[in-house]
Amino acid sequence: MPIKRPPGAIRAAFWLMVVLLVTGCGAPLQIDHLLKSPDAIGPPVELTAVPFFPQEDFQCGPAALATVLNWSGTVVTPEALAPQVYLPERQGSLQMELLAATRRAGRIPYLIQPRLETLLAEVRAGNPVLVLQNLGLSWYAKWHYAVVVGFDLRQDLVILRSGRERRHVVPFKLFERTWRRSDYWAMVALPPDRLPASAEEMPYLRVVAGLERLQRWQEAKTAYASALTRWPGSTAARMGLGNSLYAMKDLSGAEQAYRQVTLDAPTLAPAFNNLAQVLAEQGRLQEAEQAARRAVNLGGPLLASYEETLQQILARRLH
Amino acid sequence: MEKLRRIARPISHFVILAFLWLGVQLPAAHAGIVGTETLVSSEQAQQDRAHILKLLERKDVQEQLVAYGVDAEQAKARVNSLTDAEMRSLAGQMDQLPAGGDSVVGILFAIFIILLITDILGLTNIFPFVKHRR
Repeated sequence: MPIKRPPGAIRAAFWLMVVLLVTGCGAPLQIDHLLKSPDAIGPPVELTAVPFFPQEDFQCGPAALATVLNWSGTVVTPEALAPQVYLPERQGSLQMELLAATRRAGRIPYLIQPRLETLLAEVRAGNPVLVLQNLGLSWYAKWHYAVVVGFDLRQDLVILRSGRERRHVVPFKLFERTWRRSDYWAMVALPPDRLPASAEEMPYLRVVAGLERLQRWQEAKTAYASALTRWPGSTAARMGLGNSLYAMKDLSGAEQAYRQVTLDAPTLAPAFNNLAQVLAEQGRLQEAEQAARRAVNLGGPLLASYEETLQQILARRLH
Repeated sequence: MEKLRRIARPISHFVILAFLWLGVQLPAAHAGIVGTETLVSSEQAQQDRAHILKLLERKDVQEQLVAYGVDAEQAKARVNSLTDAEMRSLAGQMDQLPAGGDSVVGILFAIFIILLITDILGLTNIFPFVKHRR
């Protein structure tokens, strides 16, 4: 009996599988693309001033975090960070905890875009980048945190503070393969007056807003102010500035910020609500009522809060 | 399995308590003032919404939608009816996809969008984060 050819659909599926497998295994590295125009990346960079903390046992997380935090001007040892970020049972640190510990140190943890070009741009701007690597294979993982402090595209090398090596040098392709296995996870930890070179408005402001929950108002205020130097029209940054000033009891400063937002974005109800609150606390109840009514009229998902603000102001006016 | 359950139970209780605690803490932080976190996440949701609506304008996506018998206008209306939180988790899933460009990725992306839309319309049920309205 002659062997029947498989039906068309199955054949098509087979070839699709082959294509996916081949492209999956040999997916091009970003560095291949960059090497086509090395001039675009520019001359070599090495941030020699970045300190070094040799890691102990499995504690690459605390060591790498101490490296970027000390570079940013906070004095902290890996030993002091270990209880915050190191999980003895897993012999490692979770990315989330590195972000949280950075915030607790009053620094801004910003996850950069998962692109080699972005990483190099940050290093060129003078910011060491903390990366997560898998030094093993996807099915035999050996996770590792290290800090990229330099690179030279022509010499094909990436310079890291890594493990027990102060100046660990690896070829670009090897670096990218180990970094790619963490889905290109990378962060910078910067003082609040210094914006990441690759910062995007909303993601950056979301990170800064996280400082408010820790009541780090001074740092939040500075970060919002520096965000406003890059994005002068950012209503979210100006609202954040107002909120930090309010929390620091600078009522007239907060009022000024909120008022500016109401001029820039006349339909942003939260700005009118916050303005109303800060006016009420200064005893200017008539103006406060006006602003609160505007917030209520604009409405939106937070309408209940605006109504409450208005009710409180009206109650005070009666007394 | 039983052992796992015994270990998991106190942990889940702890997690629930932690969430409740957070829920109590956040709004109480300062009454009368809308916090920046709230504001930023709702602005972000608006941007995400605009982004997804723009994707629906893409020709290849529209062609696929028509092929699946989905009305593009209806799809847009459904995207507009998602809450901010739903929008956020949806956009979060999309962030994990490689940005389009070459053909294979482009096709996968188009398939993802179509499944997403059909999910929202209640024709399929692929993504757990899409909430279905009754």
